[in-house]
Amino acid sequence: MIFDLLKLIFTVPFLLVLPGFFLQLAVFGMKDKRISFLEKAVLIIPLGLIATNLIILFLNKMGILLNGPVIVGAVLIFCAACFAIFQFRFGKKKDKKEKESDEETEKIFDFSSWQTIFILLAILLAVFIRTAYLSDTIVPSATDLGHHMYWAQTIIDSGQLPNYGVPDFIIGEHMIFAAVNLVSGVKLMSAMPVLLLFLFNITGIFTIAILLGRIFENKKIVAVSFFVAGSLYAINAPQGRYVSGGVIGNIIGDMLIPVALYFLFRAFTEKDQIFAGLFLFSFAGLLYTHHLSSFIFIFSVAGILFLYLILNIKNIFGIVSDWLKVFLKPFPLAILLLSAFFFLFVFTPSYFNAAAVTQATGTPTKITRVGLSLSQIEGGVGSAQLFLATIGFLLALLAIRRKQLKYSVTIGWIIVLFVMTWKPALLDVNIPSNRISNYLFLPIALLSAYGLVRYFEIFGAAASRFFSAVLLFTLLFFVITNGLSDSADAFKARPQFQQAMETFHSAEYLAATVDTNKDVVLKDHVNMYADSWYKLFFMKDYKYPLSRGMLTRYVDPTKTRETCTRDMISFPESDVARECFADTGVNYVAVNAQIEGSSFEQLPEFSKVYGSDEISIFKRN
Amino acid sequence: MSSKIIIIATAVLLVASFSLLFIIEAKNHNYDYNKTWSVIYFENPQDNSLDFAIENHEGEKSEYGYRIFVADDKVIDEKVEINAGATQKISPVISSERLMGNKVLIEVNYKDTEYKIYKNLGK
Repeated sequence: MIFDLLKLIFTVPFLLVLPGFFLQLAVFGMKDKRISFLEKAVLIIPLGLIATNLIILFLNKMGILLNGPVIVGAVLIFCAACFAIFQFRFGKKKDKKEKESDEETEKIFDFSSWQTIFILLAILLAVFIRTAYLSDTIVPSATDLGHHMYWAQTIIDSGQLPNYGVPDFIIGEHMIFAAVNLVSGVKLMSAMPVLLLFLFNITGIFTIAILLGRIFENKKIVAVSFFVAGSLYAINAPQGRYVSGGVIGNIIGDMLIPVALYFLFRAFTEKDQIFAGLFLFSFAGLLYTHHLSSFIFIFSVAGILFLYLILNIKNIFGIVSDWLKVFLKPFPLAILLLSAFFFLFVFTPSYFNAAAVTQATGTPTKITRVGLSLSQIEGGVGSAQLFLATIGFLLALLAIRRKQLKYSVTIGWIIVLFVMTWKPALLDVNIPSNRISNYLFLPIALLSAYGLVRYFEIFGAAASRFFSAVLLFTLLFFVITNGLSDSADAFKARPQFQQAMETFHSAEYLAATVDTNKDVVLKDHVNMYADSWYKLFFMKDYKYPLSRGMLTRYVDPTKTRETCTRDMISFPESDVARECFADTGVNYVAVNAQIEGSSFEQLPEFSKVYGSDEISIFKRN
Repeated sequence: MSSKIIIIATAVLLVASFSLLFIIEAKNHNYDYNKTWSVIYFENPQDNSLDFAIENHEGEKSEYGYRIFVADDKVIDEKVEINAGATQKISPVISSERLMGNKVLIEVNYKDTEYKIYKNLGK
């Protein structure tokens, strides 16, 4: 156990920190005046993740079998190549001037003692709440994570990247987990996947902070952002609950979106080609990781830039021309070509087709896609966050300076995501509204931090100190009690480790006794805990064993769904179910012992071959 | 300097948290640690064999009673003591003529809990 832990502790930095560090070294050198220590440290993990993913994609394209030594060697070669570039670009330069101006850059993130203590406390609280919550859910059990880990295991077993055949899965969601396993040997059915997501989630808090730092250039706002993004609603989606739930794309997306926006903001405001290139690099990483996050990011950027251009309509051609000039330079063009090369010739994401775009745009086709009500949005993002963000939004509106891009980011981002969530038809968006609403967290965190600090500043300078103090304490009381209320769940939850282990035991039994070439297993998702991990015991096919899904999934007014997997468990004695058994060849059924188990026991055509407190397995005679 | 403190403190905090969670998972990813359950199963569900196993995950050495019925007739009634975390394999001896065409039910009792498995044997 300790040996595995040590291997994990050394492997994660090797795959995520080392490539990110050397990539930055090649791009910025050791002492670049444009980027502070905090920014470099924060960006290491997102850039390292993208670099490692691209290395694996390249190895796969070259037909090299993926295994531990190959990945270690490739990462080391990548780092050596980056170091060679660093030596070539910066090796002989002695940068006295850079050292002087370096202090200027550090100033934005050079916090006072009290600010440092506040940030450390906010991070401590954020990590503590998540750790407490995860300690009750850390044994693998989440449905989404189980599905994703099947694909990661496929990479591990075959040494190749899978051909999904469906646009629901994206390669960037699986490569890093497979890579960590191949290098360290730590199993996927362990804490490893959740811990990686935890790392990305915490890194996401930092990426929001550096984005805010560059937008507002205000240390107080950066400090408060750690509390707002890290500690408030630390368990709600898309935070702790998504970490334990294995919602990989969202978690990585929430880390990469602020990074891409950070680079884009700096590219435009500082007219710097390096940031333009890194924007394209991080956007490519996002495209390889999660289609929905990429879709949201494209809409977000479009909304921000559209607002900025509208506010500066008289100078629109000059602005667009300036932007183009930033991107039509060697570094961004090289990254663009490299990205295009990867997308076209190395690995094309499974969702890259016209059908996927058509499905995601147009008039909403389902009730779940027509938008959320205001109360649903409030429930999703949290009352305190929404309240703070509203204050921030109003204060930003009052302070707006049309020529400053930061106000367009502050206001445009929330407007576009809010409309996508509330009235998606207005923007021709046709994807589940509750999934879009999870991304509101990002602009809301930005606005909340801005609103809270500006609120303090305004009332701190108010004439009536008593009045301002009462208002401040009332606001803080509301924010803290409401914002931390979900974290109470972290301490109320009861672990379901035994149920998970009983499910795994039953899967192990079936995997050892059935012949997957002729036997067909059906298991229940409705009443079995951790059942999505069943497929990892067989590794035959993504759809093996068959599964009775959530009952609502069988009712779809837009298309006919198969119902056999439902009928064979819900009504096993019916003629329809008998036909289904004959058609599908299902001869083993794993169900909850207390619920469906009792009804199967009444049926003479089944033998009960396995019985525990939680799971019963029946064999069709 | 403050940035370095923040990054180093966060790294230390994360390593501590990861270590704790990793150890919690590793300990609990076990059929016996802090768990109380039992399971019975046929060793070979595919054929007519009646060999079965009882696994004791109750956390203590326990006595299990097992009874075997052939078409409602009790043919075996025994007790077996199983160590914590151990598996007891049992191979009942019943003549094949007696079994043919009948339902064979195995009932295992542990304290107040009853587990059963059965096979409907063909002729």
